[in-house]
Amino acid sequence: MGGRAGHRAGAGAEAALPDAGPFRDLATTALALARRFRGGGTLWCVSPAWPWHARHVAVEFVHPVVVGTRALPAVSAEGPDVVAALRVGARPGDMVLALGPAGDATVADVMRRAPTWGLRTVWIGAGPRPGPGAADHVLWAGGDEGVTAFDGGLVLVYHVLWELVHVCLEHPGLLVEETVPDAAAVCVTCADQGTVAEVVALLSGNRASVRAGGVLEEVDVTLVDVPAPGGLVLVHAGSAVAVVQDGAP
Amino acid sequence: MTGPGTGFLYPFIDGDERDGAGLLDDLAGSAAAKQADSHRLRAATLQACSGEIGRAADALVRRFGAGGRLFAFGNGGSATDADAFVSLFARPPRGRALPARSFLADQAVVSALGNDVGFDLVFSRQVIAYGSAQDVAAAFSTSGSSANVLRGLAEARRRGLLTLGWTGYGGGDMATSGVVDHLFVVESSSVHRIQETQDAVATALWVEVQRRMADE
Repeated sequence: MGGRAGHRAGAGAEAALPDAGPFRDLATTALALARRFRGGGTLWCVSPAWPWHARHVAVEFVHPVVVGTRALPAVSAEGPDVVAALRVGARPGDMVLALGPAGDATVADVMRRAPTWGLRTVWIGAGPRPGPGAADHVLWAGGDEGVTAFDGGLVLVYHVLWELVHVCLEHPGLLVEETVPDAAAVCVTCADQGTVAEVVALLSGNRASVRAGGVLEEVDVTLVDVPAPGGLVLVHAGSAVAVVQDGAP
Repeated sequence: MTGPGTGFLYPFIDGDERDGAGLLDDLAGSAAAKQADSHRLRAATLQACSGEIGRAADALVRRFGAGGRLFAFGNGGSATDADAFVSLFARPPRGRALPARSFLADQAVVSALGNDVGFDLVFSRQVIAYGSAQDVAAAFSTSGSSANVLRGLAEARRRGLLTLGWTGYGGGDMATSGVVDHLFVVESSSVHRIQETQDAVATALWVEVQRRMADE
């Protein structure tokens, strides 16, 4: 939340108050999460580099410190293969909140794949920011990433986020549920733009089953050297048109 | 619909509300105010605790130098603060790695003790099992009055471990227990602001330990 202006551990409050941008981002993120909670979504928390932060966020939502505040479903996903855990555990309409530096390859992978599972993504970190489009919501603290992870800087970001989510939940008129794609009703890959999809299974006849936006569909893979299940492809109008390489969608 | 925790801070708007811009402005303003509060509390606490941080760092360096290890514990969010403190020592972002372990790390141990002897004893029993006289016990509590944390500290004191305690709300029972060698009190009644500031103090302590070891 030190954000663009940044702040240092121990700095005085007035010394480096950031501009309004990061606070507006925090507010927007809170509203998006509140909408998903309202729709029955679960918040998945991931932090390979700082696993205690994922547990802290989860316990904040599940067992709020403010008496009378409702418990909301949040889970810390840990273990050797977080991607596999989320792929099988998360449902369309859920959320994933990852904490880690911009260079965290596992977080980047989760952020890249999560939309194919129908998840909204939040990335909280410190130090150099990840590139544009790295997640639906990027909340960044200033300071040295190695120290801000420990000195309360990141904790402040998710404490405030938790509180703002609960404020949003008191405004039901603003919590119109987002539409989760219905497999029977729409083809999510027929829009004008390409959509990132995760390969689920290879089928005969140059076809593959893929998941995009949490919805399974069958696409043509004649145009690409289709990756094994778990690989990512860019799909347009019912055809895979490119393979998405790690770090370069 | 207004909940007890935050509703008084924000204008009540009915369920037909559709324009979120006003709410987002309020939320952004609230977030800015919380950050300012947090930074003020952090600066004031670091200043108030600076002498104690230095004395604790001296004591920690002596303990590590004598082969001592650091153990940390707490409940809930404070459990994660204990985990963070341990990680800072054992897997530091820079400087020298030092032996440190969290009493929350092993679910089998925590659940076995909680189930068999009671949750009040989950930390004190680990002090008995793992601790020796040259070690250090670091405890985090926002109220300063968690029974299992206090019993862990008392057992540590009995066995000659150096004891460090982080608390809030004027200190709670931790401040009057007489079993804490180095006490860090965050003068706030907000659990969130206390935790953030406790982390800042813990990090400042780690910085001082590293500085002393680099000078050795």
